[in-house]
Amino acid sequence: MNDKKEWRTKYKNLIESPLEEQYGPKSKQELDEMKMPYEDFCKAVFAPGHEMGKPEALKGTRFMSTTMYIFTPHSCANLAELGAEVYKFEMPRMGDPMKHTSPFNEAYLYPLHDTRPMTGTGYGFTSANINEYYVSIDYHIEAMKEPFYRIVKMSDGLVECYRPGTFDRWKQSYRYLAEMNPRFIYVWGGGFGYGPKVFGGSYDILGQAHAGLASVTGMHEFMGGHCAKHSNWCIDWYSGTQITFGVLAAMHWRRKTGLGTMIEFSQVQAATRVLGHAAPLYGRFGIVRQRWGNWDTQLCVHGIILCGKSDYPDAINPQDKFEARYAMVSAFQDADFKALCEVIKKPDMYSKYIKHKDRVGAEAQVDIYATLEDWAKDKSRAEVVRILQNEGLLAEPVMNDREVYENPHYRTRGTLRWMDDPLFGDVLVQGTYSAGLMSKTPRRQVWIWRPVGADNVKFYHELLGYPISQVKEWYDKAWI
Amino acid sequence: MCDIIWCKKDVGGKPCDTVNYLDPYCFWNWKGNINCAECGAVYFIHMINGHMYKGPEDRPGEKPDTSPLYADKPLDGYKFITMGTEGRTRPFQCLPRHIYLGVPDMVKFSIRGKPLRGWRPQAPSAGIAGQFPFNWNIKKLAPEVWAEYQEKIAKGEVKDW
Repeated sequence: MNDKKEWRTKYKNLIESPLEEQYGPKSKQELDEMKMPYEDFCKAVFAPGHEMGKPEALKGTRFMSTTMYIFTPHSCANLAELGAEVYKFEMPRMGDPMKHTSPFNEAYLYPLHDTRPMTGTGYGFTSANINEYYVSIDYHIEAMKEPFYRIVKMSDGLVECYRPGTFDRWKQSYRYLAEMNPRFIYVWGGGFGYGPKVFGGSYDILGQAHAGLASVTGMHEFMGGHCAKHSNWCIDWYSGTQITFGVLAAMHWRRKTGLGTMIEFSQVQAATRVLGHAAPLYGRFGIVRQRWGNWDTQLCVHGIILCGKSDYPDAINPQDKFEARYAMVSAFQDADFKALCEVIKKPDMYSKYIKHKDRVGAEAQVDIYATLEDWAKDKSRAEVVRILQNEGLLAEPVMNDREVYENPHYRTRGTLRWMDDPLFGDVLVQGTYSAGLMSKTPRRQVWIWRPVGADNVKFYHELLGYPISQVKEWYDKAWI
Repeated sequence: MCDIIWCKKDVGGKPCDTVNYLDPYCFWNWKGNINCAECGAVYFIHMINGHMYKGPEDRPGEKPDTSPLYADKPLDGYKFITMGTEGRTRPFQCLPRHIYLGVPDMVKFSIRGKPLRGWRPQAPSAGIAGQFPFNWNIKKLAPEVWAEYQEKIAKGEVKDW
């Protein structure tokens, strides 16, 4: 009894404080979670495939997307996947130009618009405009300014991608819109931004080239290579995501001050961030960084090697038959490098390059990787990976899309999954669920996209309150 | 094209006169034997960074390591010996396969056998001002695809992955 009293006195604060401030589990479910092995805990809290039952972090946020292609649309798709209500504004009957792209064959989903039954939306549009509502509007026309300003007053922000000053000329830039809605978050995203090249437009490849990124990507010329752009518009996706960060920070700032922000986002500027040590290196030594292909300028061995045999010699698809021959190998620590030299039966190579400083030099790397590829020339990719992994070394195959699709790791985590799009049916998607898991408010994909103007009635009639007759009139004039 | 081998071997009293084109993808940095696409004569070449460092040298009796991708006879009215001609030119690795027909392939089912709803032409079913419903019932939209889907289910052709 006395002990209990003492205990109560000692832990008075803890006992009297509310449950949520105390240490430890708060419910039976949380107690169970704490007892689980970590693997099971992760499976339970992230529960891939059960995202729809959880709350959305950005619910209640309304954003406008007056964007095209991948870069700026992606910034709004990020918001929409996290629960924001995003309206995508497109030119009547045409839509975003990105809708008219498709890799090959018939990679389109029909229809695009009821007036164009033979035109579809290309798969190139995928992942950049998820979960958005599709509204058509021609805001060049004076009469369409009114609905545009009305939605501005009801929204949290806008992302646009026109040439700098275009929206200003059309009286819908930050200067005008902040007068109507001081809490408005306005994003301009484009090529160069203000400065000497203000009128320069941009594409991903232009961003990669102008920022100096392409010059350090690809094989060196002595390897028979050239500067290379990354194939899949990575700077578009990356820049769009950076805008989303800016928007979320601006929303946080607005909670504290009640004021909106203008974000001016230059794509060529953004791409310089991924150059790593290039500028400091130049600033200190005057050395211009060169490209080094699938090897690494700072670590060796840490690169991709070519193996002699394909893993699928009998496959029909050339990507399997000929290309499944590359393996990533990493053994830059001294002990790992020693083990690697023993595996490939070249102990003299270890004595030659005993310290990392010895093997990271250009000539040493050429020698080491040539020796590794010589060892791998009578082996398949799987053999190389298995032999190295058995020795405790880091090695993984360079996988193609099919292998990623079949990989159990991605299936367990829900990275790549089939979804039943309400309009377009069975679609395999990878974008939404690749962007980090969140236990309480996960990203989710409800629909991949919708046809041009599919939500015109919802927008003009239900949200803004225009009569149906007015909506029909605008539609007949092709203003919406 | 990084270089050519102009074969002038005597074939039946006439010069072969075939231009074997050496494409940069294969031959930019390459050393080995290559055959003439017309007469089959074997040449040794060694190319470094797209330049003919050594060769072409005759290698009679030796086996070719590879073939040119494309060859032609410009002085003989053009013969167009295209890629993948059996025993003469190398097949192009991305040669159109059975699924690339060169005509639109209107797919109605995904690779796991479930129906897509995006083929053309679609029945015009947009509402006012281009409005679309949120959900399209495949059964109503395309009864024949729905019927085919039921058959697939019965045959066990519809999979989860």
